[in-house]
Amino acid sequence: MNTKANLVNNMLTPEHKKGKLEKIYWISLFIVFGVGVYSIITGYFMQGMESTYLSNIVPWGGWIAFYIYFIGLSAGSFLLSTLVYGFGMEKFEKIGRAALLSAIVCMITGILFVFLDIGRPDHVMNAVIYWNVTSTMSWEIHFYIVYLILLVVELYFSMRNDLVKVAKSNNFKGKLSRFLIFNKQEYTDIDKGKDKKRLKIMGIIGIPLAIFGVHGGTGSIFAVLKAQPYLNSALFPLIFIISALVSGTALSIAIYVIKCKVKKQQADHSMIRSLGSMLALFIGIEIIMVWYEFLVGFYGLEHEELGTLQLIMGSPYSWSFWLFQMGFALLFPLILLVIKKTRESINWILGASVMVLIGVVGVRFNMVIPTLIMPKIDGMPYGNYYMNLSEWLTSFGVIAMCLILYTIGEKLFPIDELDSHEKGVSKHE
Amino acid sequence: MAIHSKSHLQPEDYSKLADQFVPNSDKVLATSPYDSELGKNMARDARKVINGKLKIEDFHRVYSASLIKEFGDQYASGPSETSQNSSTSAGTGPKWGMVIDLKKCVGCDTCTVSCKAENRTPPGMSYNVVLETIKGDYPNFSITNLPKPCMQCDNPPCVQVCPTRATYKMENGIVIIDNDRCIGCRYCMVACPYGSRSYDFGNSYEQEMIGYNDVTSPEYGIERGKRKKGDVPEETVRKCSFCYHRLQRGEEPACVETCIGDARYFGDMSDPNSVVSKLAASPRAFRLKEELGTKPRVVYLR
Repeated sequence: MNTKANLVNNMLTPEHKKGKLEKIYWISLFIVFGVGVYSIITGYFMQGMESTYLSNIVPWGGWIAFYIYFIGLSAGSFLLSTLVYGFGMEKFEKIGRAALLSAIVCMITGILFVFLDIGRPDHVMNAVIYWNVTSTMSWEIHFYIVYLILLVVELYFSMRNDLVKVAKSNNFKGKLSRFLIFNKQEYTDIDKGKDKKRLKIMGIIGIPLAIFGVHGGTGSIFAVLKAQPYLNSALFPLIFIISALVSGTALSIAIYVIKCKVKKQQADHSMIRSLGSMLALFIGIEIIMVWYEFLVGFYGLEHEELGTLQLIMGSPYSWSFWLFQMGFALLFPLILLVIKKTRESINWILGASVMVLIGVVGVRFNMVIPTLIMPKIDGMPYGNYYMNLSEWLTSFGVIAMCLILYTIGEKLFPIDELDSHEKGVSKHE
Repeated sequence: MAIHSKSHLQPEDYSKLADQFVPNSDKVLATSPYDSELGKNMARDARKVINGKLKIEDFHRVYSASLIKEFGDQYASGPSETSQNSSTSAGTGPKWGMVIDLKKCVGCDTCTVSCKAENRTPPGMSYNVVLETIKGDYPNFSITNLPKPCMQCDNPPCVQVCPTRATYKMENGIVIIDNDRCIGCRYCMVACPYGSRSYDFGNSYEQEMIGYNDVTSPEYGIERGKRKKGDVPEETVRKCSFCYHRLQRGEEPACVETCIGDARYFGDMSDPNSVVSKLAASPRAFRLKEELGTKPRVVYLR
């Protein structure tokens, strides 16, 4: 009764507006997700790979590009979270759990994308059973599983103290928390010390796992291919890792700032600014690496590599290179994060992060597709590939699923630190 | 039919005729300088060995002594030798290789067509293609036709990257795909420097060619019956297997057999006296993308 009265009272207050906004958010996400599920069923399950524009010349397409995009986001956000849990940089503690949760959700999304790209889902367990030790992809599949488990366990221990607090309330969230902490009543200082140690160990194990296993490994899936001279360079896995850091940092900034805006909370300016300068540093390193990658590539004068570079920079699809890869992913955000006026402003930092998140999609597409379009032997035809409607709808559906999962995770678990939130409020008041 | 059948010979009549035609076996055997009884007993027991009622080792044990007595030095067979035979067949069988003479190739695409007919590949898939490159401008130009099957590399990049070991190198040099294990990730297609692998998208010629789905090629010697939507090998990777199913019956690959200019040679590369080995040693010989270290088993003559 009381709540109902409140609701009526708050009819025209910002609180109500927020509810409406949330409703729109959910409805639009579910519509996109529903359309995606429909296109997966009619395309992937009923027609198989024929529903895509993939061919024998371009066997990998947009789904693989999105797969490495999301794996990159996951590895990047995880590496950011290790700053908090592995190296004890408490400055960034506010984004620690959110980074872990986004790492988990992005990992699931990435794996789903690559699962969609597999022709025979009924055979997929063979990849786990029959391990080919010389295959980077086989190692990756196993690393992904270990990594995902590590992420979940780490997130659990990082929020255990707040789970105990939440468990005291009597709603669904409380019940879930009580189940997750096995009815633990109190969170003592001993527990806190133990958890901190556990987190540190997991963070430290996670760093080589994320670098060598997950993202460097995903990069080496491509880099080991001597059939693709454009990809076959030792710098390529490093570029993968650094661009994972770029996109992961950008994702963490974007999530944090947007969350603060939606919840009308005071954002932590100094943290966002230091994250922004970190993003600038990572982008700087990536520019250096990409420069040398292209420089050495051009100097090789290898026919196929030159052809691929020409396709990337001068074909009808070159807008994706100049606008997305060079512009949105590297230069525009770097400029925004270097100019004094914009690097101080949270909105501009958010803008730079969103640009990076959009631009890196282009980076991933340029890693996968142009090198496959280039014929391997003189006389073979050029490939022609762009994503068709079914592929786009499926991709958007999966991305919507990613956002849904993330939001549900935020709703169900204490992803924001309860202490810091209270502190922030009191400071604000 | 009934009227005619009376005048025709029945099966019994044939055996009667045969009795008169074929001479008495005992009489014939008596003319032989060797022991007839031994031969008859051996024949009887050999049938038992074939039926599995008698072990080959026991057979040899029983007859070894009497055979040595009968044939002496000429007799050179025994159980020890058969085991040797089996070990040699596992270790040093033929290592298949192909030589393609580009000077003889006229670019008629017969190999492509016969490969398609033999392997019944679906639309958009061809295990063998002929790449035509034109160099120079009219009237000073040259055309090179490059028939391109799977190179069956000795260091195959596709085998390196397959996450499930579904594709592997056989002892006879052929790289094969286990379609029942393949997950269809297409990593091998991206890794193949020759573009020799294709993905079965599940297309069919059924619209244009009635009965196309009724028969599939017994690739790798496996009969899969009708081509059905969703059945292996659909949604897996396929490639040229040097017509492994034909090799098993002692036939050459279809492209070699049908080549109108006799530009293709096929044989055992491990035998230094075979035609392919001799041609592969010629100064005209080259392999595609040799610098990659894949060691293709398909050799071109320039």
